Amino acid sequence: MGKQTAGKTVTRREIIKLAGTAAAFCTSFGFLQGSQAGRTVQDKHLQQDKHITQHKWERAEIKWYSGATLLHSSAIPATVAKHLESDVSATVEIKLFRSGQMLRNLGTIQGKH
Amino acid sequence: MAGPHEVLGMSRLLGISTTEFLATYADNGGTTLRFGEEDGRCVFVTESGCRVHARRPLVCRLYPLGRATDGTGEERFARFPKQDGCEAEFGTDGTIADFLEAQGVAPYLEWSLRYGEVYRRMLRLLDLAGVEGKVETDAGGETGAAGPHPASDRDPLSSWQDIDASLAGYCAAKGIAVPAGIDEAIGLHLAAMGEWLDGLEARIGAAPDNPKREEKP
Repeated sequence: MGKQTAGKTVTRREIIKLAGTAAAFCTSFGFLQGSQAGRTVQDKHLQQDKHITQHKWERAEIKWYSGATLLHSSAIPATVAKHLESDVSATVEIKLFRSGQMLRNLGTIQGKH
Repeated sequence: MAGPHEVLGMSRLLGISTTEFLATYADNGGTTLRFGEEDGRCVFVTESGCRVHARRPLVCRLYPLGRATDGTGEERFARFPKQDGCEAEFGTDGTIADFLEAQGVAPYLEWSLRYGEVYRRMLRLLDLAGVEGKVETDAGGETGAAGPHPASDRDPLSSWQDIDASLAGYCAAKGIAVPAGIDEAIGLHLAAMGEWLDGLEARIGAAPDNPKREEKP
């Protein structure tokens, strides 16, 4: 079903373009979420979290647990660490694949955390 | 981070179109400048400095400051730690106002404000449209602004990010000349986007100034 008003329809293509443009502006301008008038804020490469600017992390590790027992620990690849370090909005997704098909999305890592 | 107006300024400085700029120097859907995979440096940083310094984006002008505005327009500033290899002078002498003036940020803040108004309008329309499967599929099933092929991370998310291409189509349809000046082109780009949103509003419904919606974290 199309979104209809007074017999007129907006197409998926138009909505995709609208969403894509909003997403592009969100990233390229640093606009944060909030569509209410006067609620949109701009954060141009700023301290979304003060600890990012005050206590920049130096190393990231992946840890294996069994329950509460730490089994193993390893530093994440430098390229991943560099990406997470590059921007407070940088994220890395961990997904499991088999034969090119994604089985499960384990989640997203954010460098700001 | 690089908005369409900033891409336009850098493109003019390099003597290329925004289309070529986005294809050559942008990443992440055309929203950021490209960085070297090995050295992590911005593509424009050279041994002798920034290649686009005269038209550098706002975020570069602000560095090492970060700036945020809240819903009332009140500004907050913070200082980033010095990046490894950065040769800029860091200090606490002087005022933020003096620093901003020296960096020539005023027009960039003004453009951000105006594009922010367009952005809010887009969000309100998306709220009204209800994007959760309630729209029709086009014949041909285009999946994105870049075309029917699978988009790469480097393809612009939206054709509106490419000011030269956007204005070429807009001006051709209107039978007017494409403006030569950067400020005029940005102004017309904003106007063209406004007309596009007018058309969507006519079909989706006028976006109220202050729609009620749930706050999201």
